[in-house]
Amino acid sequence: MSIKKKKLGGSDTKFAMFLLSPSILLLVMLIGYPLIYNIVISCQDVPLNPNLPSEFIGLQNYIEVFKDPEFYKSVFVTLSFTVVVTGISTVLGLILSVFLNRPFFGKKLVNSIIILSYVVPAVCLIFTWRYMFNNIYGIMNYFVIDVLGITDKAPLWFDQPASAFILVSIFAIWKFFPYAYLSFNAILQSMDNSLYEAADIDGATSWEKFKVITYPAIKPTLVTVVSLRTIWVFYIYTEVYLLTKQVNVLGVYLYDMAFATHDFGKAAAISIVLFVFIFALIMLIRKKVLKVEED
Amino acid sequence: MKKTNNKKILKGIWFYARVILVVLVLLFPFIIMLSISLKETAETIGYPPTIIPRNWEIQHFFDIFNANIFPFNKYMRNSLYIALATSVIAVLLGILGGYALSRLKFKGKSLISEMFFLVYMFSGILLIVPLFKMLSAIGLSNSREAVIICMIVQTLPTAIYMTRSYFDTIPAELEEAGRVDGLSRMGIIFRIVVPLSMSGIISVFVYAFMIAWNDVLFASIFIDSPELMTIPIGLNSLFNTPDYIWGRMMAASLVTSLPIVIMYGFSQRLIKSGSTAGGVKG
Repeated sequence: MSIKKKKLGGSDTKFAMFLLSPSILLLVMLIGYPLIYNIVISCQDVPLNPNLPSEFIGLQNYIEVFKDPEFYKSVFVTLSFTVVVTGISTVLGLILSVFLNRPFFGKKLVNSIIILSYVVPAVCLIFTWRYMFNNIYGIMNYFVIDVLGITDKAPLWFDQPASAFILVSIFAIWKFFPYAYLSFNAILQSMDNSLYEAADIDGATSWEKFKVITYPAIKPTLVTVVSLRTIWVFYIYTEVYLLTKQVNVLGVYLYDMAFATHDFGKAAAISIVLFVFIFALIMLIRKKVLKVEED
Repeated sequence: MKKTNNKKILKGIWFYARVILVVLVLLFPFIIMLSISLKETAETIGYPPTIIPRNWEIQHFFDIFNANIFPFNKYMRNSLYIALATSVIAVLLGILGGYALSRLKFKGKSLISEMFFLVYMFSGILLIVPLFKMLSAIGLSNSREAVIICMIVQTLPTAIYMTRSYFDTIPAELEEAGRVDGLSRMGIIFRIVVPLSMSGIISVFVYAFMIAWNDVLFASIFIDSPELMTIPIGLNSLFNTPDYIWGRMMAASLVTSLPIVIMYGFSQRLIKSGSTAGGVKG
């Protein structure tokens, strides 16, 4: 230690670099380098046998991806999924945090229950959903047929694109809304109640109070929550892949191309396209979000 | 006066009614999970389904730990190994990086913290092809270590960011005392700053542990042999095999969720302000 002190004692810059170097090295090796390597792979025909050399084929992989109707379907599904899940999970988190923003008995318990779906491993939740929506003995069949009497034949749930899309969306909303809830909750708790009291004296309605007091206070958080959630949902993989084979979002399309079709070149090309999408999005929101993060 | 009192009570009831409704909807899948884990197999696939088991059965919770009939112990060891290694290293690197960003003035600081933030927004799915090729090339295919390396990179930006914001709350004067006592700069970090921010460091640990424990993507890319599988991919691989018994799967799911829920609850209790609540990525 004492040697290090002598060596690094003088300048902050040297010491900072010493402290940060392992992290920066890791990120350069495992984020920076792969980003570039990905571009190289995307221009190659990669044989199944790892011992054979890959062949440079220019933009062939991209051309094939852009010719694939599955790709456009996947882009469409991903965009719709992102809008639905981000929008509804954010609004739901916001409504709940405003609704529960008052002292009441059992608040801690309610808060813990709300974040359960967010922290519990996705796989465990997925097993339960696959059980609930089982085509033969799922409890949801019982609800829609015997209790509510909506249909007399059980829907195919996860085995049919339209219903699978809806169910996966509901699952993702349930899984992700606590993030929005927690973020808004943190802001609302730190707010000064006297503003609301003054508004009450003026006879303001709940909506007016929200518009004039709550909304301006949470707006920066709202921007962050929506931005991050948009990006994360856009490249979602695990939840969709394990729930159904009927919702082909870009993450699943990419994974299957790499590890089911075993076409690494094409998979790399897809991830570059995905990367460009996300990077454009990040650049668009970067200034705003970074500013919020620094506050 | 009485009228307003009644109105107040009615309002209270109406409020709690809505709270209970919300809680029931959110909890419903967990109730199902618990209920199946306590049912006999015949009842889990019977129709009409029941919520409260007709015959209570806790055998599944013993069965999953019986290595002869269910591979849960093996999966748990692998998950523990990966999650512990990830979180210990992420915490260590987080402390070093967080200290640099919180305390030291140096050129390129804002560039570096912006870089970390950009990485925070990326997910591994974008880089699975090159990462798989790179780590396979150095002999790490079908290994838990490949998963650990990827999980460290995934959690590192948030670990540094969280640690930094905790260190920001510790007055710099306290470090002076250490300097007077002749501590080295590393000594100041680990003997003064770290003990003072223990609650923050625990939540960083919990965050990294949780991300690694819950991971499916990297484990499924890098691990093929059942011997090395983590709980999530191991349990998922049991679908459509004779080992697939709903009661056991649900019992295993509950046992898998429990440490995470307890750890998360514990770390939330430690954090006074909610400012880092949004640090968890998922």
